[in-house]
Amino acid sequence: MNDMTKPLALDPPYDYAGYLSTRKRFPSQPLVELPAGALDMPGPLVPAGFVRSGDNDLTTRGKSAPLGEKMILVGRLIDADGRPVRKSLVEIWQANASGRYHHPGDNHEAPLDPNFEGIGRTLTDDEGTFRFITVKPGSYPWRNHSFAWRPQHIHFSLLGNSPVQRLITQMYFPGDPLLDIDPIYNSVPDPEARKRMVCSLDLRTGIEEIALGYRFDIVLAGAKSTPMGL
Amino acid sequence: MPARTPSQTIGPFFHLGLRWPGAHRVAFTEKGEPIVLTGRITDGAGDAVSDALFETWQRCATGDAPACATGGANPNGFGRVETAPDGTFRIETTMPGGRAPSIDVAIFARGLLKPLRTRVYLSEEAARADPAIATLASSPRLATLVAQRAGNGEYRWDVRLQGEGETAFFAF
Repeated sequence: MNDMTKPLALDPPYDYAGYLSTRKRFPSQPLVELPAGALDMPGPLVPAGFVRSGDNDLTTRGKSAPLGEKMILVGRLIDADGRPVRKSLVEIWQANASGRYHHPGDNHEAPLDPNFEGIGRTLTDDEGTFRFITVKPGSYPWRNHSFAWRPQHIHFSLLGNSPVQRLITQMYFPGDPLLDIDPIYNSVPDPEARKRMVCSLDLRTGIEEIALGYRFDIVLAGAKSTPMGL
Repeated sequence: MPARTPSQTIGPFFHLGLRWPGAHRVAFTEKGEPIVLTGRITDGAGDAVSDALFETWQRCATGDAPACATGGANPNGFGRVETAPDGTFRIETTMPGGRAPSIDVAIFARGLLKPLRTRVYLSEEAARADPAIATLASSPRLATLVAQRAGNGEYRWDVRLQGEGETAFFAF
């Protein structure tokens, strides 16, 4: 079983010099070690009606299709004991194909796409499977260092079924040359763990002559307690 | 056994993707005493953290896990707010039951490669009654986890990410 009271070395540290925004935000005092299982309790239950049909399709929000390379993204949400995480909320947000977020704080001069907000959500099914229809996000510059560009990525928020499973991460694309120089990606100490944030091309997940297919499986912490019935 | 997917920062552009209308008002099926949790998040320089996501999870008034909401409502017992430009947050909720009334908190922000987790207690007695943080019993850091009663059901709890008065955060 996982020992929930120890920091998991597979996560990045709070204090990571390569990512400048950490400097005034990392805790400098020792973290409080909790007894095993102290945070392992049932988590929030998301009612089925919270997600509406079509919320997982980011390409049908405008008057016409968004610009960019259409893609189908399928994955499974499981826990570290190999069990599917069922009826669990998956939320994503991303830049458009030009590398611009539909967000007032993004002043990158790449164009907004009136047909793309870059927001989606879905609930996993009984196998833990989720599916999104979207376009491949573009890279964009940020001010962390000279010629800093983020690799293409989609942000993922997973509620899990217990607070110990709550995870926010980013999904990257295979073969992206920017991965090697990205401090956020490389903040994860273990190179094997980094690769688990990279999706894989899976043509048969796509739609013939319409959309490329990608697969991204996500593993949350193991949890002894999940809500009744899950 | 499959290995866990690592955490990454929420970044600065999460607001539209993770905004839930009404999620500042935590709902329960069970009845209880209304309370408000407010505070301000500051960084190591004392500056406002204006781009954080502040999430809460708690027991209902009976001390049990909240019953599931119905229809298309937000999940019961769960709060989610963005900090304002001045770093403040405000959650309207219900006094949690149990032996040590407390609210579990997760903070996500640009510059945090993984969330900060902690627990805010609605009284000092509650903080002392929680065996999970027994190691803090004689530490001045215990006080950083106790919300101050401000009247009218309002509880004030400021969060300092780094430096003097730094909030006690949990290893997980």
